[in-house]
Amino acid sequence: MQEFDFVKAKSLDHACTMLAGKRGRAKVIAGGTDLMIGLRNHRLSEEVDTIMDISGVGELAYIREEGELIRIGAGTTHAELALSSILWEAAPVLSMAAKSIGSPQIRNRGTIGGNIITSAPCADTVPALLVLDAALLLRRGESVRQVQIADFFEGPYRVKAAEDELLLEISFRRLRDGAKSLFDKLTRRNALAKARMNIAVIALQDKNKVVKDLRISLGSTTPIPCRFTDAERLFLGKVPRREDFLKAGQIISSEMVEKSGYRWSTDYKKPVVEALTAAALKRVLKAE
Amino acid sequence: MSYKVITRPLKRIDAREKVTGEAKFGADLNFSGQLYAKTVYSRYPHARVLSINTEKAEALHGVEAVITAADVPGENELFGRFPVFAEKEVKYTGDGVAMVAATSKSIAEKAASLVEVEYEELPAVLTIEEALAHGAALVHTDAPGNFIENTHHLMRAGDVERGFEEADIILEKTYRTQFVEHGYIEPEVVIALPEPYRRGVEIHGSIQNPYSIRENVARALNLRISEVRVIPGNLGGSFGGKDESVMLMAARTAITALKTGRPVKMVLTREESILESAKRHSYKAKYKIGARKGGTIVALENTIYTQGGAYNNKARFANWRASVHAAGPYRIPNVKTDLYGVYTNTIYGGAFRGFSAPQVVFCNESLMDELAAELGISPKEIRLKNCLKPGDELVTGQVLRPGKIPAPLKQMIEEVCSRSDFDRKREEFSAGNSGDEPVKRGIGLACTFRGTGLGGEGIDTAGATVTIEKDGSVNIVSNLNEMGQGMRTAHAQIVAETLGISYGRITFSPTDTSVVPDGGPTVASRGTLAGGNAMLIAAQKLKERLLMEAGKILNCSWEGLVIEDEIIQYRGKEKLSITFDELIPRCIMERGLTLSAQGWYNPGPEELDPETGRGNAYPSYIYGCAVAEIRVNTLTGKLDVDRITAAYELGRVINPQIVKGQLMGGLIQGMGYGIMEDTETKEGYLITRNFDELMLPTSLDIPEIDIILYETDQNIGPYGAKGIGEIGVELSAPAIANALFHATGRRVRELPMNLERVLLGRALKR
Repeated sequence: MQEFDFVKAKSLDHACTMLAGKRGRAKVIAGGTDLMIGLRNHRLSEEVDTIMDISGVGELAYIREEGELIRIGAGTTHAELALSSILWEAAPVLSMAAKSIGSPQIRNRGTIGGNIITSAPCADTVPALLVLDAALLLRRGESVRQVQIADFFEGPYRVKAAEDELLLEISFRRLRDGAKSLFDKLTRRNALAKARMNIAVIALQDKNKVVKDLRISLGSTTPIPCRFTDAERLFLGKVPRREDFLKAGQIISSEMVEKSGYRWSTDYKKPVVEALTAAALKRVLKAE
Repeated sequence: MSYKVITRPLKRIDAREKVTGEAKFGADLNFSGQLYAKTVYSRYPHARVLSINTEKAEALHGVEAVITAADVPGENELFGRFPVFAEKEVKYTGDGVAMVAATSKSIAEKAASLVEVEYEELPAVLTIEEALAHGAALVHTDAPGNFIENTHHLMRAGDVERGFEEADIILEKTYRTQFVEHGYIEPEVVIALPEPYRRGVEIHGSIQNPYSIRENVARALNLRISEVRVIPGNLGGSFGGKDESVMLMAARTAITALKTGRPVKMVLTREESILESAKRHSYKAKYKIGARKGGTIVALENTIYTQGGAYNNKARFANWRASVHAAGPYRIPNVKTDLYGVYTNTIYGGAFRGFSAPQVVFCNESLMDELAAELGISPKEIRLKNCLKPGDELVTGQVLRPGKIPAPLKQMIEEVCSRSDFDRKREEFSAGNSGDEPVKRGIGLACTFRGTGLGGEGIDTAGATVTIEKDGSVNIVSNLNEMGQGMRTAHAQIVAETLGISYGRITFSPTDTSVVPDGGPTVASRGTLAGGNAMLIAAQKLKERLLMEAGKILNCSWEGLVIEDEIIQYRGKEKLSITFDELIPRCIMERGLTLSAQGWYNPGPEELDPETGRGNAYPSYIYGCAVAEIRVNTLTGKLDVDRITAAYELGRVINPQIVKGQLMGGLIQGMGYGIMEDTETKEGYLITRNFDELMLPTSLDIPEIDIILYETDQNIGPYGAKGIGEIGVELSAPAIANALFHATGRRVRELPMNLERVLLGRALKR
């Protein structure tokens, strides 16, 4: 195993100062559920000489409600997300995603910040945060910036953040009254399995069933995780027709093939993306 | 007959140490001055080794030895042609070309990466088809056609040509199964030490079969068998797997231990373990079956190719077992079966719980349902009509004579079907599946039978030593090995029952090849059967010795004495008695008797006709029947098993809790085999290297399981027990495959029935 210094951050300031001083030679460990595997498989860059542990930084672990806004510290674990009554009430799509991850051990260690920063194509909280239109707060040294999660990903396992930048917080507006949300995933077994594909949806219809808001995102589908706005637009301002559920799935599967190319798994993924989308929409939208 | 100790769900004899963590496993052992060893693996599936340069590795500070084939003092080729080190050629990516031993694990890891090997790639054969193709590259130049030596086994009964002429319907189907990894929780470990007191070597580790490993290490080291001592520690599971790779580890570390004069420890990483250890053989099985309109089967012909990998020492036995069972638990007058083992430049097949049965039973029982569907009769009916019944003749020619070999299968099928409500649910699910709902439900049936013990594979001997100490404690040691299956507990119960004493008096010692004689391997569900018989024989000798001595003390004839509840008493005369605690010190201290006895069980060889494969293949058979209920999402291919109802005939239950645990564990392992587990490869390189990819079932995948146990009398094992270690694994895959067909109308003939196969009917390759 690669040799490195292990530093336990005492505070947020300590962590940021340390990271700034290391200029990319330090790697942050939070839950470690990805980094430890990387270390074992020799995937850590040889330039890294320090691993900084932020799991003890209490300032990063919180779920707060400020009016319409929900703010989550990047160091909050999946288990904490899955147990939060604030979240189940304000954004159940994220609660469901967090609850579905790995196993109790992984949920107790892994954090929402780590899930975003690692940006595995199958990350379960990412589609949920995409449909929540979450904003990310990052800090580099003393300077702080905010970015929309939709603009944060560059490709599989690549995000638009500097090596010495730390993700502090994820925030989003609570679901509007009457909005429905759903998270579903397909796995090879019922626990401890990466999502073969996952889907998050938020939908709002008025009393005449007219769709006022619809947001759809699927993981393990495109190189850069995204919302599927073409499919969303099919329903906006209209009363959903049953046949549009499958049509939306086909729009998404075409977009997948366009963006990912026709891969070894596409024969399987294409019909399943369509089916997952149609099934999810059927569950959250009332049709005419 | 009422029993005092057996038939009861007593606590495992080694439960406390294992639950509290006090029990040590191989990796927990450390010896002063030990070195850490690491194997340098082949870079190619098939290549010529041009040169090996160890200089850089040897120059690294802390490296004490780098060894290659040139350092092997004895034979480099072990049982099954496994090389201690690949010398001129590597034949798969798990071949070891060198091993380094260093003062720390990290130095060993670094040194392994510094060993420079120059290769010239050779064409590789990676599948059964490639290996059998005309003009295929040869894995072993002296094995023409890539057929593995001694692996063609056959069965000939009746006349299949005539049988097919009598058939109203003939079906031909091909089935395939995959290589799967055992997935034991403890990875392999071996520690070899130079014998401190004499010439030789002492080996500890996670070793399933210490005697065969002792023999092979002796050959590699040019030592006499008695100069190699093997002490398998506690094993964290094995299922047949801790054998070939552990043999190589033992040889490599023992050579290094003697060369350096220091203990050498080698613990495999999970990735190394999955690369280098045996897998369940992959099968390609072609079947042809003929039946009359009413459902009576008249002929069966099958040709089965078993993928053996680069080296193999198990297909010669496993294929024989398969030849006896390849017609299933049915009365079929005309049978022609052939099995062939095939070399490929891939991971290799070995022993894995079931030893050919999981593959064969998947094929047979899928075929039975296909035949039933073709004939328009129910899966239950076709089995009831054709299953083995008392008086029937097996394909081997053995007759199921009541009182000799029991045949309760018909009754078991009826009971499992009624308990699972099979007929009603079949109709109910079919009706429910006709709608638009993507989730369909299915129910499927499967049956099996299994020859007990080794049968014609080898002589089914076992040895045991039972010793009563001065304080009345009783120590047992078997030549067979505890791997988590609960064998020691069964042995302790048998000894306590026989001696008429309490279970709490029994202690055990681990197996040690220098203490107990070689009674063969711990395989073939024979721990209780053969091992228990050896215990019974030893305990009976001691009992007789105790009764004779008590007769002298009590001044009565010993034949009238019995031991019960630790009191030796003359039948019907309460006053003529002495307690076990009084008797023991008198025997040992006053009379100088030895209260140590060896038990040796030897049923003798089974007679077989090499021309037809027929004869007394096994002394007895056990039976199983299972019904699986599933849900499958027809839009995604996701399959969940809701419930399994199963019945097993097993002679006598020595410990019901352990028996049910074994059978449930088997059903779950069989379910993983059926729907999830695979070993994915790409161009000869293994991709599945750790548990994240291996897809063993988790607790959330496990269905409700309902098990019915059938006991029968007049069996060959101790107190009428037979073996139940393996049969549990056999029925899940076919019962699920049949349920899947019921749910969807589509037949999946390849394992595993994963998302892609269920949805698309085929697997996808990366």
